[in-house]
Amino acid sequence: MKDIKLKIVTPEKILFSDKVAQVSISTVMGQVTILPNHIPLVSQLSPGEIVIKNNGKEEGLMAVSGGFVEVLPDQVVILADTAERAEDIDEARAEEARQKAEKLLKTKLIDVEQFAMFTAQIEKEMARLKVARKYRKRGVRTGQN
Amino acid sequence: MPQATRDIQRRIKSVKNTKKITKAMELVAASKMRKAVSKVLATRSYSDLTWETILHLVKKIDTSQHRFFQESKEVKNVAVILVSTNRGLCGSFNAQLVKKVVDSIKLHHPDSRVTDIITFGSKGRDESRRKKLNLIADFDKEDITLSSEIIRPISHMAIKDFVAKKYDKVFIAYTDFMSALKQVPHVKQLLPIVPSIDERLGHIVHEKDEDVDKINVDNFSDFLFEPDTKKVLDAFLPRLVEIQIYQAVLESEASEHSARMFAMRNASDAASEMIDELTLVYNQARQAGITAEIAEIAAGSAALE
Repeated sequence: MKDIKLKIVTPEKILFSDKVAQVSISTVMGQVTILPNHIPLVSQLSPGEIVIKNNGKEEGLMAVSGGFVEVLPDQVVILADTAERAEDIDEARAEEARQKAEKLLKTKLIDVEQFAMFTAQIEKEMARLKVARKYRKRGVRTGQN
Repeated sequence: MPQATRDIQRRIKSVKNTKKITKAMELVAASKMRKAVSKVLATRSYSDLTWETILHLVKKIDTSQHRFFQESKEVKNVAVILVSTNRGLCGSFNAQLVKKVVDSIKLHHPDSRVTDIITFGSKGRDESRRKKLNLIADFDKEDITLSSEIIRPISHMAIKDFVAKKYDKVFIAYTDFMSALKQVPHVKQLLPIVPSIDERLGHIVHEKDEDVDKINVDNFSDFLFEPDTKKVLDAFLPRLVEIQIYQAVLESEASEHSARMFAMRNASDAASEMIDELTLVYNQARQAGITAEIAEIAAGSAALE
């Protein structure tokens, strides 16, 4: 079976670089799953999760806060602003951060720019939380770390 | 004679103190350099991949439609972002960079056109003021830039002025980190974007032929853009510029700390040498003093007999 070369990079480091069978990404237009020989695609990411699958079973789960994805027939490059592996996310702290952002959004009189910033922050924290919870519930082990 | 030996002793002491300081600064610079180098290497892969993506894209899309790619027919106004340091004592680091900027202004724009300088780092600001360059903005710089958010105002300003056609070209002057021993001042065109492999940061001389992705996109069908081409490019290109500036800043920081480390090591070595020389002179003077005294005593006792 043909594989895709998947690279997930953030400005801080290379988070993932390996061959995978399929990967699901959430873009601004919705969730897309990429299989080998996908049509070339460039899209913007929305805060959400990345699910990597190999041989039908889930191999990796990550949270991203936004960025871009470039898809070529045999290669996928995810340029994420920030990305974390599910096992690295501290659920309690993610929840705390989300609540803090929500509270700030409610209590203070803020201008449009700040409002957008806080909304984005909430979205990002929600994505992290979702990934962390999913990871815990299923007890996914990537076997890589 | 005792006067001379005392003077020499005093000088030895002062050189020893200076050596202690330069030694300490060398160690501090070394630890900062380690941090800065690991940061620059970590970000290189991201900026390289971003650059590769744009290389793939330009083969498939009509770039002339987007402002970021449009070349002006006549280059009248240019801006240079000058990435320098806050502190001195790093050899000819800043002087070389400013010289490079002045040279490239002379080379590319011999007639008196407007060149505006945006500085990031106080040494570059002082130096360009001394050289009477046209300074329009100065951004404060930290010793180590922690995230790309810090440089966002700079990229914002550069992009805004470029899109408004205030400038025909925007350059960034920084010091490329090649190795701990070698750093090269470099002026790179930021806008309009010129997609070519050699324009990648951190690669001007070294690693040019290594793993540049040889993917040939010509055979592939056209790119699909989601939501649409304009929206993706509008979001992607400013990010690209920002990452380029960020990478340039990190390259400069890694270079700065390595340059300082070596400047300080040279100073410490020179101090050791000076101490050795002075000690030799001191011992000779002391010896001469003793010899003279013995001769006097011998002469005195000979006179009594």
